[in-house]
Amino acid sequence: MKTIEVSALARVEGEGGLYIGVKDNQVVEIRLDIYEPPRFFEGFLVGRFLQEVPDITARICGICPVAYQMSSVAALEKALGVEVGPQTYALRRLMYCGEYIESHALHIYLLQAPDLLGQPSALDLAAIAPDVVRNALRMKKIGNEILKAIGGRSVHPVNACVGGFYRWPDSSSLKALLPELEWGLEAAKETVRWSLTLPYPDLEIDYEFVAIHHPEEYGVMRGDVISSTGKKTSVADYEMRYFEEHVQRSNALHGHTANGGTYLVGPLARLNLNHAQLLPAAQAALSEAKLNLPLKNPYKSLIARAIELVNFYEESIQLINNYLPAGPAHAALVLKAGEGCGMSEAPRGLLYHRYKIDEQGKVTFAKIVPPTAQNLPRIEADLMVLAPKLIDMQQDLATITAEHLVRSYDPCISCATHFLNLRVENINGV
Amino acid sequence: MRGDDAAGLEVVRLWQERYLSSADRVKVEFSELPGLALLDSLAGKDAAILVDAVHSSASVGTVLRLGADELASFTPETAPSHGWGLAETLRFGFSIYPWLGKCRITLIGIVGGDFGLGARISPEVAIAISKAGEMVEREIQALNN
Repeated sequence: MKTIEVSALARVEGEGGLYIGVKDNQVVEIRLDIYEPPRFFEGFLVGRFLQEVPDITARICGICPVAYQMSSVAALEKALGVEVGPQTYALRRLMYCGEYIESHALHIYLLQAPDLLGQPSALDLAAIAPDVVRNALRMKKIGNEILKAIGGRSVHPVNACVGGFYRWPDSSSLKALLPELEWGLEAAKETVRWSLTLPYPDLEIDYEFVAIHHPEEYGVMRGDVISSTGKKTSVADYEMRYFEEHVQRSNALHGHTANGGTYLVGPLARLNLNHAQLLPAAQAALSEAKLNLPLKNPYKSLIARAIELVNFYEESIQLINNYLPAGPAHAALVLKAGEGCGMSEAPRGLLYHRYKIDEQGKVTFAKIVPPTAQNLPRIEADLMVLAPKLIDMQQDLATITAEHLVRSYDPCISCATHFLNLRVENINGV
Repeated sequence: MRGDDAAGLEVVRLWQERYLSSADRVKVEFSELPGLALLDSLAGKDAAILVDAVHSSASVGTVLRLGADELASFTPETAPSHGWGLAETLRFGFSIYPWLGKCRITLIGIVGGDFGLGARISPEVAIAISKAGEMVEREIQALNN
């Protein structure tokens, strides 16, 4: 009997457990067990005043706090019937650009590239390619600086609020970022070229891709939810088409389509569905790459992230050059009971929030669906495709191979270097 | 929000209140989950004193003084953002930034016990905060001499 017993640990950002059940030399079951703190947040948001929600939910993640802030303000503004003006929207986009830049630079170079280059960690990659890693950190830092300029600090930035921002950031502090952003744009173009040279494992899967889509901009904060199957769903109807299911064997909620299928959110979905809305420099990078879209290899999400990096550097420069704050930084709020849902594209994919509030603006209900939860069934299904190879491997190699696949999704569980505990059980008992 | 993970913040706040004259001459940065951004904070500095909760086999509330090269023996105290805890970040920084080797880095670590979400600082750690604040001040005085 080939059994390695390892329990799943309780850190979303840290660790997961993988179980493979083998019977008659066939993989019959595969499970990725994750504990999920956002469920906890939904509980303690009840009773909080609505203006606390953006800063509380930002603490669900240290890498994508802006995503939580933006989805939450969208939902609460819907509940109050508030519409923000174009300058507020533009500044929110800029804040999101900062988050995409720092998240994607980190993931491309320090989380996934070491896997593809046969290096155990970013530390080992730094030993053989210090210039590459230094450039990566410089790229990441620019994203952090945007968040700091707008939100006061790069981790869990403050300033975003329901109705807009607590104050307009100083124009000079944003314009001071332009030289580094110009450098970053060129570095991002090089990142795309470099990403095309990496040795990606062969794995092609027919996904149902799902992402926010807007006809006039690369979908991040407004638009409808579209699927590669042709379905189009308004944000208000999202819960009628995409469900969350509590999986008994773990605390994770898993996302499914209404007909029980899996779907994929994240950079592959966004690029495949929204490449026509990329800005010119990103379009040029995509064209130069000569990619066959849609990309269906989960490992090649790295390439999609690289192209998005070009896009968000370019957008940052445009937004800063056009930044002209005027009038109050936030709309006046008239409190009333209501309900609203909001959605945005976190770097990892769709992030959905729904809130009910009472006439005093206190939250009475909160629902948060993070992208990792939506992708979990798809990750398991992809591991099932890989599993026949895994069971023939030595334990260490099988663990690394499975980790590489999971890490290509950039889920919040992929943070630790050795995050995956692999258990293979031969159900025959032999 | 995470129990003993607040130890570092509490130590520095107490130090700022108690040692005003030192506090005026030292740049203080509060960073929750700094990750790799810690390296940006250290850029251009001759010396840095990092104050943080740590995980250790020593009893809860023990206050430790560590040099940068001793940090590898301490595991991350909570779930650091994408695995970039203090030890990992410094090791990484030393490998790519030659200037980091010239910065005198000292960690004042308070051994924590309960890092649970929503937990309060444990009594043993609460007692240790004052001692840790004194150690911070001694480090600053030593740097000035």
